[in-house]
Amino acid sequence: MNRAPGPNIILSNHDSAGTSRTHMPKRFFFLCWFLGVFSLPATWTAAQESEPHIRVEVNMVQLNVAVTDAKGNYVTGLRPRNFLITEDGIGEKLATFGEGNEPVRKVTDAELPDVKPLPQDSTASPAPGADASLGSLVAGASVYILFDTSNYMYRGFVFAQDAIADFVRSLESADKLAVYSYSRDLYRSAPLTADRAAVLHGVRSTVAGDDAALYNCLLLTLKDASRVNGRKVVVVFSNGPDNASMVPPEDVSELAQSTGIPIYMIATMEAKLEPVSTAVFERMTAATGGKAYFAKNWKDEKRAFASIRDDLAHLYSLSYYPQPNPNRGWRTISVKLTGEHMKKYHIRTRAGYRPLPARSPAPAETASSAAQPASQ
Amino acid sequence: MRPLSSRPASSALACLCLFLCSSVLPLTAASASPAGPSPQVQAEALPNEAIIPGPLSAFLRMAGISQKVLPEEIFPFLARNVLAHGYVGWENNGHPTEFLLLLLRYVKQARELSVLAGNEGSIRVSGCADAASLLHIIGYRVRQECGHSNTSLVTADAERAFLTVDSGFPLPALERTLQGGPPFVFSFPASRAPILFHESDWTSLSTHHDQLVETLLNEPVIARLYWALSRNDPETRVALRQSVGLAMLLPLAPALDLYGSQICIRSGRVLVPGGTGAEAAWKELVGVSPTTPQEFIPRLLARDKGWAASYFDGLAHASREQQLHFVSGNRLRVFYEAFRSADPSADATHAMFRPAPGLLLLVERTRWDSNDQPYVPGNLETWSKLLRQKTHSKIVHDWRRRAAHWDRPDQLLEAMFAFARIDTPGSLLQAYLTLSDMDAVRPPGQRLHPQTVQLLVSRFADLSDQYLIFGEFPELSDSSITRFINTADALGRIANHTLRGNAMGMFQANVGLWQILARQDQIPAAQLDESWLRAIEPFSSITSEARLFDAGRDSLRSLVESATGKPAVSHDALIELLSGPPQTGSEAERVRQEMAANIRTGIEGQRLVPLDTLLALGAGLHDLAQGKPVSDNLMGLAGQLREFEMPRPIFSSGERTEWAPGIYNNRHTDLEMKTDLARLIKGGASGSDLEEARGQLAPFLRDTLVGFNYAYYEPPGAQVLRNNPLFVRSHDFAGDTVLGVEHIWQASELFGQGAPAGGGAHLVGSLADLPYVLAEVEQDFITPENVQALIWKEMVPGLIVSSTLPRWWNVSGTEVHIVALHQRAGEELLQAASQNESLRDKVIPILADRMAPQTWERVDQALRSGQLAEILPRILPADTFYLTAEYRREYPDDLAASGPAGQELDSLLRRQPELSWDRLSHDFGVPHPVLAQSYGLELLNLKPFPALSGYSSRLLAETWDSSNLYWARLADEKGYAPVNLNRLVPALTHRMIEKISATDLEDWPAVLRALREAGDEFRQGKFAALLPVTASSQTKSIGLRWSSAEPGEALQPPAAVNPAPRAGKE
Repeated sequence: MNRAPGPNIILSNHDSAGTSRTHMPKRFFFLCWFLGVFSLPATWTAAQESEPHIRVEVNMVQLNVAVTDAKGNYVTGLRPRNFLITEDGIGEKLATFGEGNEPVRKVTDAELPDVKPLPQDSTASPAPGADASLGSLVAGASVYILFDTSNYMYRGFVFAQDAIADFVRSLESADKLAVYSYSRDLYRSAPLTADRAAVLHGVRSTVAGDDAALYNCLLLTLKDASRVNGRKVVVVFSNGPDNASMVPPEDVSELAQSTGIPIYMIATMEAKLEPVSTAVFERMTAATGGKAYFAKNWKDEKRAFASIRDDLAHLYSLSYYPQPNPNRGWRTISVKLTGEHMKKYHIRTRAGYRPLPARSPAPAETASSAAQPASQ
Repeated sequence: MRPLSSRPASSALACLCLFLCSSVLPLTAASASPAGPSPQVQAEALPNEAIIPGPLSAFLRMAGISQKVLPEEIFPFLARNVLAHGYVGWENNGHPTEFLLLLLRYVKQARELSVLAGNEGSIRVSGCADAASLLHIIGYRVRQECGHSNTSLVTADAERAFLTVDSGFPLPALERTLQGGPPFVFSFPASRAPILFHESDWTSLSTHHDQLVETLLNEPVIARLYWALSRNDPETRVALRQSVGLAMLLPLAPALDLYGSQICIRSGRVLVPGGTGAEAAWKELVGVSPTTPQEFIPRLLARDKGWAASYFDGLAHASREQQLHFVSGNRLRVFYEAFRSADPSADATHAMFRPAPGLLLLVERTRWDSNDQPYVPGNLETWSKLLRQKTHSKIVHDWRRRAAHWDRPDQLLEAMFAFARIDTPGSLLQAYLTLSDMDAVRPPGQRLHPQTVQLLVSRFADLSDQYLIFGEFPELSDSSITRFINTADALGRIANHTLRGNAMGMFQANVGLWQILARQDQIPAAQLDESWLRAIEPFSSITSEARLFDAGRDSLRSLVESATGKPAVSHDALIELLSGPPQTGSEAERVRQEMAANIRTGIEGQRLVPLDTLLALGAGLHDLAQGKPVSDNLMGLAGQLREFEMPRPIFSSGERTEWAPGIYNNRHTDLEMKTDLARLIKGGASGSDLEEARGQLAPFLRDTLVGFNYAYYEPPGAQVLRNNPLFVRSHDFAGDTVLGVEHIWQASELFGQGAPAGGGAHLVGSLADLPYVLAEVEQDFITPENVQALIWKEMVPGLIVSSTLPRWWNVSGTEVHIVALHQRAGEELLQAASQNESLRDKVIPILADRMAPQTWERVDQALRSGQLAEILPRILPADTFYLTAEYRREYPDDLAASGPAGQELDSLLRRQPELSWDRLSHDFGVPHPVLAQSYGLELLNLKPFPALSGYSSRLLAETWDSSNLYWARLADEKGYAPVNLNRLVPALTHRMIEKISATDLEDWPAVLRALREAGDEFRQGKFAALLPVTASSQTKSIGLRWSSAEPGEALQPPAAVNPAPRAGKE
């Protein structure tokens, strides 16, 4: 990996076979990504004495940031001081930093840009035990694959299944994967595991279903993923549409952003025939820091797979502990690069998050998790 | 694209082997029953088998049959699925559905693979060299060069490949072989399954097929006959084949399917509803004597286009006691004539589901007075007048003239048999049954006044779902009922749509809160009527939003005062109140606090404005208007109203208009977001303006009060309430957002499902049936454990409601132990009956009154042959519970002799007679909002209802009452305090639903399997996270002494642990 102080441009063109030709000395897939709100001791409670009923918890906020040039090539070699993060306009101090597959590390004050964060509330500081978060960051990344097996996928079912099998094979063995399928209900074909054979078996054991409740099932998938420590991403194979969900995509998108889980959608051009799904796929993935791909057909998804792998391999992993912020609603996150010469680069990350209400797990959730085999 | 209805996985219909004739048996066949099947029957009924190509698991997957079925259920379910899902319009030479086409293709593919498997029954591939034939059949090809680590399989023939993966072929294993791994060996034997009669009996009916699988797949009429006969008991089945013949029965298959399961032949005669004493009446009705089954049955099935069979079947479903009422005098003929002649041109066998579902309800639920006269709510004159009102129903119209001369209750019931043919909601039959149920539970001196009956029936079409609360609380007087209806009417007449919606919502929310507090016994029974009146009175005259806010506040204060004695209301205090009555024990109080936390979380998920904020703002505005000094934080409180944010939009408003026309409508929320009381306060508004400004709080107060109701009834694992903050706010009480909703006081309907640009699902209508509707919304978030879960849409919400509605705050440990003892004593009785013929003769008729006939006969056979252990897991907990209760009622001195559990139970009940059936029924029963028009909890001793058109699945779910009884037994075994049932029952039921793998709408065995599997997990300690670690739970298993345990207290260690029979599946 290039360790030069300046940024490097990584070309990630693909050959006709769809193979990534990233100009990097090594290729590491899936080590560094994604944002999250970790359930760690650093809890900031926004409860006021006069407002006793609403309590929110904001822990360490983790961001996965893709930096690209005008041609979409990844910009690497950036350092902590190159990043300026604000939340609702409040400057934030980077706590950890990592690039691509390098280990995430604590950021020292000397590495930070010249910003003046607000005085920290004691409860907002990394509390004892925060180092555990570093451990979780370097743990294997978790990829949740969600496969649409509804009637809408009937004709492309076997080809999509082939494509997912290819995607699974293309991932490095260190990563954990889960394969879920959905039609009206969610089905956990292969719970999160490092056993690739079990995952492939899960892919091939999916069966065609009926109605499509994409957003219901994506919500449940995100909730599963949010319970797992470390970095995680959801990759959805679907052409849309949705004819059975109770929750709208807005709620799903907010949950993904609030739990720091990027969503990638892989579809075929057939999905473009349905403008609602196209709009959701593109906007939801963008808001969460992921991407949507529309290939000609399921056989032609290699480029999407390579692109996702490249994306995940080149993300910057940043985190911070939010400064005191009275806003109990949506908090907008802004990530910028310092210096005029950096303005030409594009940044992709989640747009913000909504602090989650503090609560205990519901009995059914506890029971369900208690009754099911461990997911890792 | 495949039609949505093409796969049984989606609609989950098919068969549950409902069984026949138990209801008629005890009256007529006391001699036939103990004798058992004749030797000839045993010889004929020996199971035969038919071949199914390929592994059974693959075939079951493709046929939409649960992997957990018993072998003898396979061919009946196959026939049922072909019938229900295989053809479109098959009666008129219709065409096969995609489901059937896939199944047919799979059978063909399986035969090809069987050839490859050879005599050995195994498909073997050693490597790339010998894979070609297999790959061709399964529709895959090797993509990369074979034999390398990156070799993989991809689709070559999509049609074949689909069958391959859909049937569960182990593709990854084959792939590993082709990568150079170990040889691929896949056992692919032909499977065998038991069949009815001999294969040739069925194939001879076909002119094209010589194997049973192909015959059933290709000939739906034969499949229907197969399915119909599979639900008869073996003796009847054999008798029908021998005396009538399958060929003769073939054209009668539709009637036999819909109405034949109760037909029972014993000792050469058909057992008829009403018993042998009714044989003459049935002979008169059918034209042939039941003593000649070969003539009686074909005539019954064919008579009057199936209506005679429908009538026979309906009466046979009723209890023995009910049957006797209906065959008394000339009723059988008179009522049938009314039923038949209501619409003689219609065909009772035309549809897949039986028409006239009201008939079953009528014969089951008709109530009688001590003089054997049908119960009449109000009086005959009232009903006579009601019939003479304007009607759009031809059937009702035809009865108008006759009604004018009624002088006997039988005449009213006769009309109800005619009205049973009307399928539309809000019919007079439904009104009659509802009011009968409502009136029958009222004390003798407080029966409904005729004027009240008149009012309730006249408003039935608009308000019937609201009457659920009157059925649950008979303490409500005529005056209270009338006041409620008048208030509802007044609110419905408010011209301003916004005000009307807010008023209806707030009114119903407070009524809902009253219902919760009354159900939890927090409002004393003696004060129910008065508190009701005080709660609804403020809404009697709503003219402005400000008055509405005051009404909501005053109403809330009054009902809190009724429950606590103090009118002070606060957000947290109300949550505490709803979570249950205060508990004295620490463990019980901890459970209550968990319940409170769940309610709080649900409300927080909706980001509703806290009640305290709203009440303080209302008071502050009032004071300000009066020129009084106000608190400094008034501005801060006003600012809280503006804290709610809409979810980050994905769609523009133009896109919503285009992509979700008529669905996305958040006018209520939009108006709230424009509310800016801070500006008004700062701006120095006039006193009158400030008074009226209080009205701007009304929509917020509505939302918060409605939110309390939603959060209270939130099912376990619910997602919508916690993730869609618009869910409560979007509730449309006035029907403003959609067209075509006429009855806005009726149960809510769901809108916006599956409309991504529509902002999520929301409810339109009332809060009357809220527990069920919320369960309906949340059921798809339950993740099935099985790949083809085949759970169904209406049954699951019913199961959920039965677990979330009951609360166990006032249940003692002794009571829980008694529930467990009932089940264990029932098992002891069965055990003893297997050794004692006279005991068997007592036990079987009791079971036959609530068991499906096939089940009853299976039990009988098991008792006779000493195979009780095999049958015990297939008996419902409610069956053993009821067996004990009824046995003790009929033979009060005998229970103690049945075994240790019976002895202990008998002793306990003698010491504590207050723990009667009624008490257990109230504490461990389930609600029956459709069956008994009440959310009151009750154990109804009913046979499972068959699939009916319309609301059948709800009826089906409401006849399932085993869950709570079984969970109580488990808690008793583990020694958990009764209050833990509050969290245990919803969680166990949730887990049970995850485990359901059913094939059909009526697949009771599948539900029972799931129940026992969830119970096994509990016994293995997998729910430990939900429960406290107590000394008792660590040291005890069964046989606890509860006598000193009071409600809310942990158990005391038992003085002695009695050995208990192993339960059910163990």
